[in-house]
Amino acid sequence: MQYQLNASKRSKLKHIVQNPFLYAMAVPGLLFFLVFSYFPIYGIIIAFKDYNFAKGITGSDWVGFKNFDYFFTSDDFWIILRNTLVLNMLFIVFTTVAAVMIALMFNEIRNKYFKRISQSLIFLPYFMSWIVVGMIVQSLFGGEEPMINTWLQYLSLEPVNWMFESKLWPYILTVIRVWQGAGYLSIIFLAAITGISEDLYEAARIDGASKLQIVLRITLPLLVPTIMIMTLLAVGKIFNGDFAMIYAIIGDNSSLYPTTDVIDTFVFRSMRQLHDFGMSSAVGLFQSIMGLIFVITANWITRRVSKESALF
Amino acid sequence: MRQKQSAADRTFTVFAHTFILLFTLFCVFPFLLMIIGSFTDEEELIAHGYTLFPQTLSLDAYKAVLQSDVLFNGYAVTIFITVVGALTALCISAMLGYSLANKRNVLQTPFLFFCYLPMLFSGGIIPFYIVVSQWLHLQNTIWVLILTMLCQPFLVFLLVSFFRTIPEELEEAARIDGANEMRVFFQIMIPISKPILASVGLFYALSYWNDWFMGLMFVDNEKLFPLQLILRRMVSNMEAAKNLIPASAAIAVTPPTYGVRMATTVLTIGPIVLLYPLLQKYFVKGLTVGAVKG
Repeated sequence: MQYQLNASKRSKLKHIVQNPFLYAMAVPGLLFFLVFSYFPIYGIIIAFKDYNFAKGITGSDWVGFKNFDYFFTSDDFWIILRNTLVLNMLFIVFTTVAAVMIALMFNEIRNKYFKRISQSLIFLPYFMSWIVVGMIVQSLFGGEEPMINTWLQYLSLEPVNWMFESKLWPYILTVIRVWQGAGYLSIIFLAAITGISEDLYEAARIDGASKLQIVLRITLPLLVPTIMIMTLLAVGKIFNGDFAMIYAIIGDNSSLYPTTDVIDTFVFRSMRQLHDFGMSSAVGLFQSIMGLIFVITANWITRRVSKESALF
Repeated sequence: MRQKQSAADRTFTVFAHTFILLFTLFCVFPFLLMIIGSFTDEEELIAHGYTLFPQTLSLDAYKAVLQSDVLFNGYAVTIFITVVGALTALCISAMLGYSLANKRNVLQTPFLFFCYLPMLFSGGIIPFYIVVSQWLHLQNTIWVLILTMLCQPFLVFLLVSFFRTIPEELEEAARIDGANEMRVFFQIMIPISKPILASVGLFYALSYWNDWFMGLMFVDNEKLFPLQLILRRMVSNMEAAKNLIPASAAIAVTPPTYGVRMATTVLTIGPIVLLYPLLQKYFVKGLTVGAVKG
C-alpha cells in the first residue's frame, strides 16, 4: 500500500517534470488567486485582533470576539441586515418578473428590425458602470430643483425632497435595478424559450389554443425551472451584495442610510471614515460566512431541482 | 390552420409590442436625456433642468471638456488599463483555463478547487485592502488598477467549459506528430477558440473600463485617476465639474457645469456605445456558452 502510494506520487511527479508547460501555464493565474484571494482570507484573523498599522496583520494583538460584540449589539446591525435582505429581495423579485415578461413578450414579436433594435437597447444599461448610473440618478433627483419635481409640477403634484426621503429609496433603487439588470436576465430566459420544442407549439395551435393560452400553458411552465435556478443563484449571492450600485448612487448621503445602508456600504464606511479595521473586518467576516451558507444552501437546492444547473 | 388571427390574439400581439416598446423607451430615456443635456445651452439647463426638447442647443460643454487636460489624462489612464489589463487577463485566464480543462493534468482536482473557492468565500475588503496596500505597496501606482482584476473565476470557468468541448483527438494527433504543449496551445487551441476568447476579452475590457472601486480604494494621485473616478467626483460635487474646465477656455459668462457633467458622461460611455454591436454579439455568445452558470 505504502509502495503503491509512493509509486503514484512518483508517476505524478514524473508527469509534471515531463510536461512542465502544462503546469507552468496555470502558475500566473494560481498566483493571482493566492495573492488577491488567499492572502486576504488569511487576513481575516484581524477580525479577532486589535489591528495596528505598525504591527501588521500577524503582529497585532488578539482581542477575541471584542470586535464582534460591539457591532452585533448595536442597533446598526439589525438595520443593515434588514436593508441587505429587503433590498435584495425587492431586486430579485422585480428583476425576475420584468425579465420573464420581457422574454415572453419578446417571443411574440415577428418584425426582425423591431426585435433586434429593442433587444439591443434593453440590454444596453447593463454595460454602464454604476458611476454613470449614479450620475444619471443625481441629474434626475439631485440639485436644488430636481428634474423629477419639474415633471411632478406638470402633473400638478407636490414636489418631493428626494435626497431626504429615505422611505422612497428602496423603490427607486429597485426601479434602477430593473432598468439595469432585467434585459440581461431576459436574454437567459429567451435562450431557454428558444430551446422549447416547436412541436409543442404546433400541437397547441392545431388544437386552437390562443396566443395567451400558449404563453400561459406552455412557455411559462417550461420556463419555470430556469426561473427557479436563476432566482436561487441570486438568493445565494444576497450577502455578497451590491456595494458598487448602492455606493455609487447613495454615496455619503447619510439621510438615506436608514433604508439603504447595507453590509457592504457599512463595512466600507467604517474603514474609510472611522478607520475601525477590527470592527469592519468582523462585519466582513460575518458577511462572508453568511454568504457561504447562502451559496451552499442555494446550490444544494439547485442540485435537487436540476443537477446540471448547479454550480458545483 | 386558421387564416385570420382571432381578436384575442390580436390584442395580445398589440400588448406584447406595446410592452416591449415601453420598456425599450424606459431603458433608453436616461441616455437620451444625457446626450441631449450635453448639447443644451447652460442657461436653459439652469432654468429648466435637463429636457428632451431644449430650445437652444450649444456645443460649449464639449468645447470645455475637450480642452481639459484632466479628462484627457483620464482617458489615457483608462485606455491603458483597459488594453493592457484585458490582454494580460485574457492570456492568464486562457492559459489557466487550458491547464484546468486538460485531462492529463494530474493536479486537476486541487487546481480546480483552488480557483473555485474564491467564488464562494472571500476575506472581505478590509484584509484585501491591507494586503494590497501594506504588503504589496501597490497604492498610487497604475499597476494596482490592473493587477487586482487580472483573473475572474467566472470567466476562467467559462473558458474551462469551452476547452472541455474540444475533442481530445485533436490534441493527441498533434502530440503524436511531435508538437509540444506550447505548440498545441498556441497553434491548435488558440485558433479554434477565437470566438470564446473574444467574448472573455471583451468581458475583461468592460470590467476594466467600468472600474472605479480599485481607484477609489487605492489611488489618491489625480494623475492616475481613470475616467470613472473623474466622473464620480462630479456626481455629487458641482465644483468638480468647474475644475475640469480649463481657465484658458474663454466661455461665455456661466461656465457650463451642468452641461459638462453630461458631456463627460457621454464621453465616458462613448466607446462602449460605439463598440456595442460587437460587445452585444459576443456577450450573448458568452452567456449562452456558459449557459446558466455563474
